[in-house]
Amino acid sequence: MHELTWGMPVIAYLFMAGLGAGALTTSASVLLRGGQSGKYFSIARYGAFIAPIPVALGSALLVFELGSFQAGHWFRFLNLYTVINLSPMSIGTWLLTIFLGISVLYAFTFLSKDACPGDKQDGLRRLAAWVGIPLGIGVAIYTGVLLGAMPARPFWNSPVLAMLFFLSALSTGVASIILVRALLHRKHASAQAEAHYHESGYILSATDTLLIGLELLAIFLFLMYAHLTIGSVREAATVILAGGELSVLFWFWVVVLGLLVPGIIELAILVPSIVYHRAYRSHRVIEILVPVVVLVGGFMLRYVVVIAGQITHPIGL
Amino acid sequence: MSKKLKTTQQSRRGFLKGVGAAAAAVGASATPVQAVAAITEPKKRYGMLIDTRRCVGCHACSVSCRSENNVPEGKHRSWVEYTEKGTFPNATLHFLPRLCNQCSDPQCVSVCPTNATHIRDDGIITVDADVCIGCKYCIHACPYDARFLNPETGAVDKCDFCLDRLEQGKEPACVATCFNRARIFGDLNDPDSTISRMVASNAVSVLRPGMGTLPNVFYIGLDYADEHDIRFPRQYIRVTTHRDENIRR
Repeated sequence: MHELTWGMPVIAYLFMAGLGAGALTTSASVLLRGGQSGKYFSIARYGAFIAPIPVALGSALLVFELGSFQAGHWFRFLNLYTVINLSPMSIGTWLLTIFLGISVLYAFTFLSKDACPGDKQDGLRRLAAWVGIPLGIGVAIYTGVLLGAMPARPFWNSPVLAMLFFLSALSTGVASIILVRALLHRKHASAQAEAHYHESGYILSATDTLLIGLELLAIFLFLMYAHLTIGSVREAATVILAGGELSVLFWFWVVVLGLLVPGIIELAILVPSIVYHRAYRSHRVIEILVPVVVLVGGFMLRYVVVIAGQITHPIGL
Repeated sequence: MSKKLKTTQQSRRGFLKGVGAAAAAVGASATPVQAVAAITEPKKRYGMLIDTRRCVGCHACSVSCRSENNVPEGKHRSWVEYTEKGTFPNATLHFLPRLCNQCSDPQCVSVCPTNATHIRDDGIITVDADVCIGCKYCIHACPYDARFLNPETGAVDKCDFCLDRLEQGKEPACVATCFNRARIFGDLNDPDSTISRMVASNAVSVLRPGMGTLPNVFYIGLDYADEHDIRFPRQYIRVTTHRDENIRR
């Protein structure tokens, strides 16, 4: 077993970059989907403020993890900006840098206290949203491609991994918006505003539930892809299957706690609205607990994947 | 046929001479002779052939590599794996010297985000320690665990066939020190070199050919068993790598 060359900073980065990219993608989609009416503007605003923070923190963590930084060459990481090549890390660096700039610009357009649809910043905001969506998707996907590009790491070398990370990024991004929104929520004076709050809560929960379902599907495909083959990939996947070193971490923390529990709770709350067209009502406790477990699950997914990829090897010489 | 081939070669050489002279005329720094030599000299492809039947596991190569390249403690550019296989009386102990495979299609190079790792014209893959940021991506990408982070430079380090010795016209330290001549070093593009003749006239194999990396380190008498095979034993196997204290046994 080789020592873990990519440790906690990389795991935290993969989670945080995904979260930020997901938050921006969600925010910008909601903003553009709302059209000129500015429906769900508040969701877009929360997402815009969340997005740059985890991405900036995560990227900073990455720099601390670099060998050159630890050896005292503090600014050598700038060498990343002297090159554009087809290394997923090079592509990712540029995506991430542009993403950070755009997401800060996007958040800036929401900064004014009376920011509203159609205000002075509207054109800039919509432009940043149009640019931000592909960038957010790019950042979310590249984290999976980064790991998936190497046959020498059979656990990561799966085409499903990038899709899984992408879905998880969107899901944690939506969850972070739900969480921040619930934490900052004050009961509205008017019944209309309160109803609107719950309506946008419905959109977020429904999106999150859908993403959780797709994530479960991606995990199923990931396991099938690994398990129905022979050789390195199959042997590598045994670490997360029953009896493997990471099986409890994976099945309990990622699948049950991170996906099934929030998915079932959200579904139970959503069903009356979807099937019987009742007005969607959620409890604040649930609106806080569900995204928390989704975020924990998203982090544990990165944790399990990054560790599993490093403790497994190709078989044979 | 061969005569025809010869004439084509000659005419190509003549053509290249012309090009070389033209290039020299344009670039004032190069003399015509140098320019012609640079163009007409065939590209080298350095490689190594390791005859594991001749290896006795003495670690002379490991030791000379450490002293030659100033390898930090606990890290290894070159190492020898001991594999014990089977049970008495049907048992064997054999040795597998390991080093960077200097692949022709190296993934470490394709994942490097700063181009610090690059493949030279002579096929040797080097890391420019002043450019490398130590992101460790290439350590993961290498199927041979040949790379490590040098804590002193903060850059990734690995075997480069003792580049500074090659420039002085010497063989790599591990080759020079191998008393049993288990290591043969040379230019694989030169059909008359010892290594080319040995590779052509023996059954040779490379490590993990399925990775598609096209290694330039060849082995005679390579066995299937390695440290990771211990998890799926088909028979008794014990591998000692002398490399990593955390190795799974």
